[in-house]
Amino acid sequence: MNLLGPQRLVVRSLVRAAFSAFVLSVRLRVISPWSYLNWLVFPLLFAIVGLYVLSLPGAGSSHLVYGVLGGGLIGYWSVAYIDAGNGIQDERWNGTLEQIFATPTPLWVILLGKVCGGLLFGLFAFVPTAAAAFFGFHAVLPALDPWRFVISLGVLTLSFFCIAITMAPLFALWRWAFSMINGFELGVYILCGFMFPVAVLAPWAQGVAGFLAPTWAVKALYAATVAQGPHDFAAWWAVTSGLSLAYLAGAYFLYALVEREARVSGELALV
Amino acid sequence: MPAIEARRLRKTYRTTRGVFRRERVEQVALRGVDLAIERGELFGLLGPNGAGKTTMVKIFTTLLLPTSGAAVVLGLDAVRDQWALRRRIGFVFGGERGLYWRLSGLDNLRYFADLYRIPPEVSRRRIPELLERLGLAGRERDRVELYSRGMKQRLHLARGLLNDPEVLFLDEPTIGLDPVGARELRVIVRELADAGKTIFLTTHYMFEADAICDRIAVIKGGEIVAEGTPSSIKTVVQDQGVVEFEVVGMPADRLAGLRTLPGVTSVAVADHELAQVVTIHCARPADVMTQLGLVLDGMTMEKVSSREPTLEDAYVQLIGDSPTNSEASP
Repeated sequence: MNLLGPQRLVVRSLVRAAFSAFVLSVRLRVISPWSYLNWLVFPLLFAIVGLYVLSLPGAGSSHLVYGVLGGGLIGYWSVAYIDAGNGIQDERWNGTLEQIFATPTPLWVILLGKVCGGLLFGLFAFVPTAAAAFFGFHAVLPALDPWRFVISLGVLTLSFFCIAITMAPLFALWRWAFSMINGFELGVYILCGFMFPVAVLAPWAQGVAGFLAPTWAVKALYAATVAQGPHDFAAWWAVTSGLSLAYLAGAYFLYALVEREARVSGELALV
Repeated sequence: MPAIEARRLRKTYRTTRGVFRRERVEQVALRGVDLAIERGELFGLLGPNGAGKTTMVKIFTTLLLPTSGAAVVLGLDAVRDQWALRRRIGFVFGGERGLYWRLSGLDNLRYFADLYRIPPEVSRRRIPELLERLGLAGRERDRVELYSRGMKQRLHLARGLLNDPEVLFLDEPTIGLDPVGARELRVIVRELADAGKTIFLTTHYMFEADAICDRIAVIKGGEIVAEGTPSSIKTVVQDQGVVEFEVVGMPADRLAGLRTLPGVTSVAVADHELAQVVTIHCARPADVMTQLGLVLDGMTMEKVSSREPTLEDAYVQLIGDSPTNSEASP
């Protein structure tokens, strides 16, 4: 019992630090016009274009769900992933990256709070896109299985979380990583089937998509909204979770590397 | 056991230059520095830009790893024991960056209190105390972007004191502050030292170091070139005097002529509005003053004077007689 006391205090202080980072990231998003572009304006534009194309005569009616959910998925991914990198870059520009790095809280704990803030805001992207689908195009999810849908969304959230928290330290270490962020963001839109089925991609692209955890969760998410097609939910959830945890295992080594390399190069202070 | 100790501390930055043909470059920032600072001491590190002051602070505050040698603070190795050390030290870097400008001062302090893992019952008591002590009470709910530069710097100091550190590192804390703000900050720093905190201060301002530091060291090119109390550092130039005058337009050949005068040890030129202030360190000021007219024949000199050397003169002597960029003390 005596041994558990100090450990409990340590855990409690780390949880408090992560929660504080979460609250700070939410507050900064509320007052940043840029974040409204990411979760509101851009997803809405994608959703409207997607819904327009997919509701044209001749388009497969089963594909309309990609218009209903696709814009929201893009917004969710953008905020979860881009804002993790952006958040680090903002810290660098503010001169706060060194300040937070030099505290007794490990970087991964701070980023955990920040990434969770991004995930919360990212979920908001579904609100305007779903509203546009319903009120603008009278489009609904035809055969929604609520439980499987919610679990698939949870598994998708796990995959976004794991990718964001794995990639975020790279932005702390290498300034040039920020310039690559857009490429990976767009690649995931396409490869993971946010706006159209992965089956329409070239075989090699489908192969690459198979290694991306969100691909399988998105597949499950769409399957939970339509009656026809395969419904291998358990397998899809397992593959997503397995890949996500593999990313997280990689992150363990990455954080150790970043902690050391940042102290060797002194790049945290550079903008 | 010293509160802060550097043993053969060396830091080399490795980087690249060039766009198409990239070339590896090594830049030595510290060349085997030895230092020992006792508990409760207010220690000043003086040196020109690029001398290695900030690098040393960053190594002690666990932000940088030395290439070789040891950096020990409160008996803890700054390389290996970073987590334990970070809880017991504070640091403040000069300049306005390092705060969340769109949040309030209070939000900034609460956030960093949590990152320093200070129990809430302690931070609830300590934050108002710090705000009061640093003259920010009443403005703590304003956004930081509305603060004056002096207020931002005091907020930086409040952040640095959140964990009630035993050792506080201040890297050019008064840079860019107006004279009143700088003086206020110096008073606070002196009070902190009097209260028992060990303070490691880097500064460009000789007046600042002379006024508040118990002991100082001068660093040049990554090496300590002098160390001692301000008065002992001044003995470097005790046998010398200083001749100063103002002139408009100082040709290089005349400057070289001044350097060849008998007894002259250094000549420094600093811009002052449209004129240049020439400072000559020499053994016999009276002799130099009589020969000024010969060297500067035809030039109009103003405010010619001779005076006792100051810490700044000792600093200039130690750093070298290249044209100085030292500024007036705020």
